[in-house]
Amino acid sequence: MDNDSMIFKKKGPLLVFLLPALAFMALFLYYPFIMNIVNSFYQITGLGNSPEQLNQPWYANYQRLFEDPYMATALKNTLILMITTIVFQVGIALILALLIDNIKKGVQFFRTVYFFPIVISATALGLLFNLIFLYDTGMVNQIIQSIKPGSELIDWYDENHFLFTMLLPVMWQYVGFYFVIIATGLNNISPEIYEAARVDGTSGFQRVWYITLPLLRNVLCTCLTLAITGALKVFDLPWVMFGAGMPLNKSWLTGTYMYDITFGYADVDYGSAIAIVIVVLGVVISMLANRIFRERDI
Amino acid sequence: MIKKTIALTLAALVGLSVLSGCKNDEEDNGSGTSGKKGVTISVVTSFGGDDGNRQNYEKAYQAFEKATGNKVSDNSQTSNETWKSQVMADFQTGAEPDVLFYFNGVDSNKLIQDKKVVSIDEIREVYPDYADNMKDDWMGASPVDGKNYSVPVNGFWELLFVNKKVLSDCGVDIPGADYTWEQFLKDCETIKQKGYTPIAASLFEVPHYWFEYTVFNHGNPENHLEVPSSATDAIGKKWQAGMEDIKTLFSKGFFPSNTLTAKDADTFQLFADGKAAFAIDGSWKLGWFTGTDNQAGNVDNIDDFTICFVPGSGERKATDIIGGISMGYYITRKAWDDPNKQKACVDFVEAMTTDEVVSAFGVTNVTALKNGTIVPDDVDSMTKRAIDLMQELTATVPAVQDQLTETARKALFADIQNVVSGKMTAQQAIASALDKNK
Repeated sequence: MDNDSMIFKKKGPLLVFLLPALAFMALFLYYPFIMNIVNSFYQITGLGNSPEQLNQPWYANYQRLFEDPYMATALKNTLILMITTIVFQVGIALILALLIDNIKKGVQFFRTVYFFPIVISATALGLLFNLIFLYDTGMVNQIIQSIKPGSELIDWYDENHFLFTMLLPVMWQYVGFYFVIIATGLNNISPEIYEAARVDGTSGFQRVWYITLPLLRNVLCTCLTLAITGALKVFDLPWVMFGAGMPLNKSWLTGTYMYDITFGYADVDYGSAIAIVIVVLGVVISMLANRIFRERDI
Repeated sequence: MIKKTIALTLAALVGLSVLSGCKNDEEDNGSGTSGKKGVTISVVTSFGGDDGNRQNYEKAYQAFEKATGNKVSDNSQTSNETWKSQVMADFQTGAEPDVLFYFNGVDSNKLIQDKKVVSIDEIREVYPDYADNMKDDWMGASPVDGKNYSVPVNGFWELLFVNKKVLSDCGVDIPGADYTWEQFLKDCETIKQKGYTPIAASLFEVPHYWFEYTVFNHGNPENHLEVPSSATDAIGKKWQAGMEDIKTLFSKGFFPSNTLTAKDADTFQLFADGKAAFAIDGSWKLGWFTGTDNQAGNVDNIDDFTICFVPGSGERKATDIIGGISMGYYITRKAWDDPNKQKACVDFVEAMTTDEVVSAFGVTNVTALKNGTIVPDDVDSMTKRAIDLMQELTATVPAVQDQLTETARKALFADIQNVVSGKMTAQQAIASALDKNK
């Protein structure tokens, strides 16, 4: 009997390595999550405060979720964010990757340039875009003023523009992430297939449509699943730029609303209920995405 | 045998070190009773982070350490809602500090109700001279029982900051002590016609300054601190009238056009850049103009700006202002009951609240000092103006918002943007806030 098979027979050492991680997860993830469920049924009026009494009725917070107009706004905006993420983040990343796949020089340069926003912290990006969209002396308004002197300044955070202003930086930040994944996927496609297609007289569009996209299916599925679940977790950039629902409680996302309810209003029990909605939504949508975009053998 | 000898020697050494540790503790604690050397007291204040008085605070407690031989274990942070929650959680879990610098309004009610801090009266039974440089009536009595528990350092005021250049360009006089709301509205109209923004304020982020004064203008110093029982009782109607005044200012276009989406820093920059005429802010804003030891001020010429009284109306004179003393040093019950720490804590609070230290923290501030603050000779024009205004006051009233719970306060101010934009009535906003004021 050789040593390799001994490793699989003796489970003890394996457990020694697995248990600490399991204990860590249990202590810092599963226990808080269970406590979060329990807390959502109690009245808790401050961070760090003990639960005071059971809500009347005990499911009051869940009832409130359905009656709260700001929660509806948060869910609607999160859904919009999810759709725009799929269309723009993954879509633009795909187009950029396809374009760069067809050039011979400067590939590494473009890869670095497009990936760069990922390494900048969301807080710094939020401040950067705040300066770009600033009302009085922001970059965009200054450009508009120089092109069309005397025109009215645009409030990029008002009711007519906030969605664009909020979504643009989020889209911009993560395009590079999906670009790198798709570009790596494109590298794995054998050049011989393209060569054979070229000999057969196919056009560039036909090669993309009939060869590249089908062979990229699994990579695109991974990107879509990551994009959908990632959209549910977006918090920092919108929070830095829009704070508490600016303008007029129109820009709430599930994450920002939960944070404001818990830390701003010290309504810890209702914040816990919103957190559970976020988790449930995340699990359900991830499962759906996994089912729809299941990887297949090509 | 050798192993056994080594083991025994090590065990003996460990035992000795433990005992010597105990001995040191006893020495420390013993001398701590006399307050001369060795006691370490834990202190929590809001003078941490980027607080403008952090340097003054550190200088003061280091001087205390040098003079007494005691040590300060400082855990100061910046004051915000998270910090407040953390302080309360520390008391709940028995991890409270020995001395706490904290709010004296409703925020500290639970500390008083749970007898977690010691009253000044109780301290004076043992140390009769405790805080005797302060006026008792000004120390910031607890709303729970009207007793003093904390010794204040610096108070605050909220006044009208004025851009003199803008006013001069518009031909508007600098407001005096008799400035009325009617005149203010006329001035704002003149300033607006001239192409300036009359009032620099973010109703999204800091509507509370205007709320305080517009409500105050419909009442008087005696009833300003009353919280309505309902949105429709006499006080509720007073609050409604105040919020309607803000709505009027908004609908007349006196605030920046992006007041509902701008941050406080953006709108105040309009004021500093000479694009807006008026802004209400607090005494803490003076440092923004004048700068500190480590940082230059934010304006080119401080003489282009000044401070005035907020226009008055009805029973409120312009010289009746929002101000007072909202924080002070508490000695916790746990430290007071510890004979080793009691005197060190008393000495610490006394050292941090001498006339010199209080003056260093803010020479223009509303103060509880019997002798007033010590004013240096070389003060700038804005600071001098603030000191002069303090001599003209007819009444100083704390902010009524501090009578509300954190949740109610946040709800009320978050709804001001809805009221001015017509998405909600003032009555609905007040009712919603009162509903959360539990």
